[in-house]
Amino acid sequence: MAGFVDLNIPHSLEKESLRKLVEAAAHLGYSTVAINYVIDYEEKKKEVVKPISSSELFTSLPMVQGKSKPIKILSRLTLVVSDPSHCNILRATSTNIKFYDIFAVFPKNGKLFHVACTTLDVDLVCINVTEKLPFYIKRPSVNVAIDRGIYFELVYVPAIKDSTMRRYTISNALSLMQICRGKNIVLSSAAEKPLQMRGPYDVANLGWLFGLSESNAKAAVSTNGRAVLLHGEARKTACGVVHTVKKPRTPDEDDSTPATKRPKWHCDE
Amino acid sequence: MIESGDDKGFKPASYERIVLKNASEYYYLKIYLEFQEVGISLNAVEFKQLIISALKRLHGEVGAALPVDVLSYEEKTLLAILRVPITGLVKLWSALTLLDSYQNRKCAFRVIQTSPFLLALAGNSRELVLD
Amino acid sequence: MFVPLRWLRETPRHLLVCERSHVRHERSRHASHVRDHAFNCRVSFLIPDCGIVPEAFKSAVAGLGEYYLVKNLSLHELVTEEFINTFVKKGSCYALTYNTRIDQDNTAALLPTGKLILSVDKDTYEELGLQGHPSRYSGKKPMRYIITLDLSESTFGPDSKKHKRIIWALKEKKPLEFDFLLAWHHTGSEESILMSYFSKNQIQALQPKVTFSTLRNVQCPVLDNNKLKGEPEAACSAQEFFEWLGAILSCVGLENTPSSFLSTYSCPQPSTFVEQVLLCTITGFILPEKIICLLEQICCYFEEPKLAHWISLVVHGFADSPVSWRECEHGFLKGGENLYNLVIFRSLDYWLQMAVGAHDDCP
Repeated sequence: MAGFVDLNIPHSLEKESLRKLVEAAAHLGYSTVAINYVIDYEEKKKEVVKPISSSELFTSLPMVQGKSKPIKILSRLTLVVSDPSHCNILRATSTNIKFYDIFAVFPKNGKLFHVACTTLDVDLVCINVTEKLPFYIKRPSVNVAIDRGIYFELVYVPAIKDSTMRRYTISNALSLMQICRGKNIVLSSAAEKPLQMRGPYDVANLGWLFGLSESNAKAAVSTNGRAVLLHGEARKTACGVVHTVKKPRTPDEDDSTPATKRPKWHCDE
Repeated sequence: MIESGDDKGFKPASYERIVLKNASEYYYLKIYLEFQEVGISLNAVEFKQLIISALKRLHGEVGAALPVDVLSYEEKTLLAILRVPITGLVKLWSALTLLDSYQNRKCAFRVIQTSPFLLALAGNSRELVLD
Repeated sequence: MFVPLRWLRETPRHLLVCERSHVRHERSRHASHVRDHAFNCRVSFLIPDCGIVPEAFKSAVAGLGEYYLVKNLSLHELVTEEFINTFVKKGSCYALTYNTRIDQDNTAALLPTGKLILSVDKDTYEELGLQGHPSRYSGKKPMRYIITLDLSESTFGPDSKKHKRIIWALKEKKPLEFDFLLAWHHTGSEESILMSYFSKNQIQALQPKVTFSTLRNVQCPVLDNNKLKGEPEAACSAQEFFEWLGAILSCVGLENTPSSFLSTYSCPQPSTFVEQVLLCTITGFILPEKIICLLEQICCYFEEPKLAHWISLVVHGFADSPVSWRECEHGFLKGGENLYNLVIFRSLDYWLQMAVGAHDDCP
């Protein structure tokens, strides 16, 4: 099992509030968080900015509660899409896009949901929890997504803020669960204030409300988050945005493996 | 050092072992209430009412009827130990998680520890700072 | 069929094992149960009808000995020949990773038997390349693996292939570094030898923290040492007593009525009022050998006539230890329960209650 992960800390231009959120996450026991940059094509065309680095945010990273290691901060780009052309940006290698660790899409309609599940090079598909789902979640799309190692994200803070949204969160979650049977779910916060954030065990318990089993619920805040990160890393490598570093041969390297099987190049993210 | 185990002429102590699987009727939660502002105090009755209102908000009348006991409560620290029938644990816990305000002031319940054994709450190694 | 809210009704797994026998019984297993529970973070004892701390207890508590916290210690330091010969083979050496979480992080524990248990995630397991087995509680797709290395084994010599491989795996293949709680129980006298051995690392000697307190006018349940299950109107059951102990140790009020608004918990019946109860709590990294000493003191206490009918000794284990008893796997789903309680009766009959949580083997 892996440490606890919150993949959705909304980016804000105010560094202080962002800092407070990350500190709160560390205090609640999250080992990894991702700062989420949202690009909504329906609002206005936004530039992909270069994500803030952890050193810009903290001189020394906050320690994870009860552990002797600091929190890990990643960056995530979420595209709110209603048309397949919106996703072309994901393929562009020249822009700031290569700095992001995780790609997510928020499909506005059923067609885009299908595209996101089956063809888009993304790691996460966000499920709308603030209104009634405007499309049916179809089993074939979800099955392909699960095969491709794509995860579905449910955020819980809207359910804390408002009772109508709570109803939508639970009902949309249940309709997703009916199809994916608790597999490939990631629960994250989307918290704007530290007080809205909840501890990982609390969130896992909420998972039960969404129809997740005990172990699936815990995976949704830990191992599944890790799988998303690995998927992101693998995607980066496949895109060709790869830094290769020659590994110096050490004298006591295991010489029993044949030369062909020995890794000559070490891929360093 | 071996004696036959009889103190007053009784038969030697026999050996007995019982395994109680999932036998606890209750679950226990150690929680505290966090406010954005400082200096908000509520007494034990208000604290219990807040819990009942949280249950009612999420689970309705049936939820509000869940027999939750506030076993201990400290007004200064807003720390409490709750007891709930084991089948109501998820209901209570989710209701606490989704609560966001008390009298229009933002707050959050933080669950520190949960256990089917009250005794386990008395020695949580995750809370211990040894160094 | 998919039933969305079925989980709402399921009770999480937990076990409470109760045993009853006599302390001096030749086949009594209480001492081995105490000895096998290697990692303890808190020990409390409760003596009813006792106002002043008996001298014997005072000195037993004072003699608990210190333990050590070593920061950033490479795991391979615990498998070096020198370490094994100096500590593992000459006494009981205990080590447990500190500030690691069994459900999230890699964890290691050295048992006094010389077994080094590593509980590691899948990535680490694959990188290490040491033989192990999947954790019993990590589902269909194992995400956690348990590796057991026997350091006291005769084939674990300095020149053996196995030893070389383990050193290589832990030193070069996948170096693992932890903060460790360390303690060494041995018959010799040089106490600070651990301290000097790890002088290159950041090492700190720590003393267990002890508090004594007296509780006044406590409602105590009536127990019958021969009846674990209790008897209506005559004696309380072991399970009721276990909850009551929790209430006492967490300062929970006992005087409630079924109609109370706040809480309906009340002392199990029948009960008696006890004027004063002595409660001692020790916190630290407490070795089983020391708990055995305390247990001996409790038995001696009853050699002279006393008012108390029983004494209770509560031991809390570490929630994040990879083992509970012996090498039984221990895990953390949401509580990590890992504790036991010994009730010693005046007749030296005892009750032993062992409690574990969802991800545990039956003790």
